[in-house]
Amino acid sequence: MEYVFHIIIMLNIYIMLVLSANLTIGMANLLTMCQAAFYGIGAYIGTYFLMQFSLPFLVIAGLVMLFTGLFSCLVSFASVRLKGDYFVIATMGFQLIVYTVLYNWTDVTRGPYGIPGIPGIKLGGMYELSGVYEYLFMSLALVGVVVFLFHHLVVSPFGRTLNAIRADELTVKAMGRNTVLFKSIAFFLSAAVAGLAGVIYASYVSYIDPTSFTLDESIFIISALFIGGIGNTKGPILGALFVVLLPELLRFVGLPDSIAANLRQIIYGLALILVMYYRPQGIWGKAILK
Amino acid sequence: MIWQFVVNGLITGILYSLLAIGFALVYNTTRIFHIAAAGIYVFAAYMFWFFVAKAGLPIIFASLVAIALTMLLSLLSETCVYRPLKNKNASLNVAMIASIGAMTVIINTIAMCFGNETKVVESAILQPLAFGDIIVTTPQKYQALVGAAVLALFMFTLQRTNWGLRLRALSADETLFETLGYDTKATRVLVFLVSGAFIAIASCLTVYDVGLDPNMGMSVLISAIVAMIIGGVGKFSTCILGGLTLGVLQSLTVYHFASNWQNAVTFLVLLILLFLRPQGIAGYKQRTV
Repeated sequence: MEYVFHIIIMLNIYIMLVLSANLTIGMANLLTMCQAAFYGIGAYIGTYFLMQFSLPFLVIAGLVMLFTGLFSCLVSFASVRLKGDYFVIATMGFQLIVYTVLYNWTDVTRGPYGIPGIPGIKLGGMYELSGVYEYLFMSLALVGVVVFLFHHLVVSPFGRTLNAIRADELTVKAMGRNTVLFKSIAFFLSAAVAGLAGVIYASYVSYIDPTSFTLDESIFIISALFIGGIGNTKGPILGALFVVLLPELLRFVGLPDSIAANLRQIIYGLALILVMYYRPQGIWGKAILK
Repeated sequence: MIWQFVVNGLITGILYSLLAIGFALVYNTTRIFHIAAAGIYVFAAYMFWFFVAKAGLPIIFASLVAIALTMLLSLLSETCVYRPLKNKNASLNVAMIASIGAMTVIINTIAMCFGNETKVVESAILQPLAFGDIIVTTPQKYQALVGAAVLALFMFTLQRTNWGLRLRALSADETLFETLGYDTKATRVLVFLVSGAFIAIASCLTVYDVGLDPNMGMSVLISAIVAMIIGGVGKFSTCILGGLTLGVLQSLTVYHFASNWQNAVTFLVLLILLFLRPQGIAGYKQRTV
């Protein structure tokens, strides 16, 4: 049973990541390839706060979201100057720089050795969460809040403005909206939620190293997003379900581990190509990438 | 000592130039961000390794067979992925996402067949050449000679032949090219074949020196794309300029700091360049709509 709960916790983390990617990619049509960088920044900043201070969870979550969000200013700054493929390669660059720094700045991040023994999250006063059950409930509650917020964001004036930016940025500008501000807020929120997922991952697994936050991880998150669908809340959740549950289903087929890992990636790749061909908005999505 | 690093950088730069041209052939003519090139690069490397180490062919034949097979795979990416999407009028970003999917499929199929561990093509250590202080190893000698010859041949073809003219015309304006009665579809097939050949040549020359593993494609491809952007997008000769610049720059990073900061420095330079001179060192200034 703990095995099932573990999968549900990882699923919750991925739902947050894919939803946060949807905010910039799906709603504002800004193809970022650096979601795992924010995930990693959140995990490392969260680890720092968890290990240095014994603050209640809400304070730590707030601080992590704030600092991770501040890093997103770099990306939103790039999005003002760079368009199309240049923006994509710049975000890839940001992802690789973050990974290189996490890997090589050994004085602070311990580099490839990783940071073991990260303490659990403290709820309210001093009660420290431990064990699968408590993390299960906490992550379920958080995902509930995140899904609720994103669902309302999609239909809110803010979300509709982002959708309008995707459809025609020039018109939105002509209507007197500050598109740069809207995009920056989208980047900030997206990075903050990815950072939140990072803290939960760090404290749940209690060990982090830079290899969890590579460009491949970013591509993985994007694959999940595009398979599930972009532009609404249902699509990204379905995408996260698909990529987290598929390996578990393959496990039941009884393939050897060495083949199963590659086979699963092949299925993701094929799914991505087929979805792009037959249903470019994703299985359950609303918008089509322009 | 520093000249040794400059020479190393120039030779790496030639390899980047080859791969950058392989990418730019597709990117300039079709505007597709051809990420699947990373998978094609890995495929070429494994075919080369297979025919040298497993089938025991001489290196020349093995590389020719690898190049031919890679050209076919490159064509396959056009006929199975990009062509159907273009027929459905899908946007270029959609093609890019599908390209990511194709890359994932190719790389993981190779990893499933040949395993995830690092392999070497030939382990014999050959006598290096020495010019004064500067030492050039045997693989580096081949990389420099073959690479420079292929680049020279390509530049000649591009500037002096009918085919090169068509290629430049297609990359300048596809609609006009079609209006004047040229066959875009056939030219695209040719573009993907030649692109595959360039990717394969870069790949074979590299793995002959440093060995191969299934995950090497993406970082090399990103360096090549950076080389293309540094040189200036839209032309082909700029790829060579960008490739050599990037190669020397990375090599000097190793000289001054350490090899593990290479990627970070590469991208810092790219970002600074994109902000100060988005058209690249030798690119045109283009008006955006």
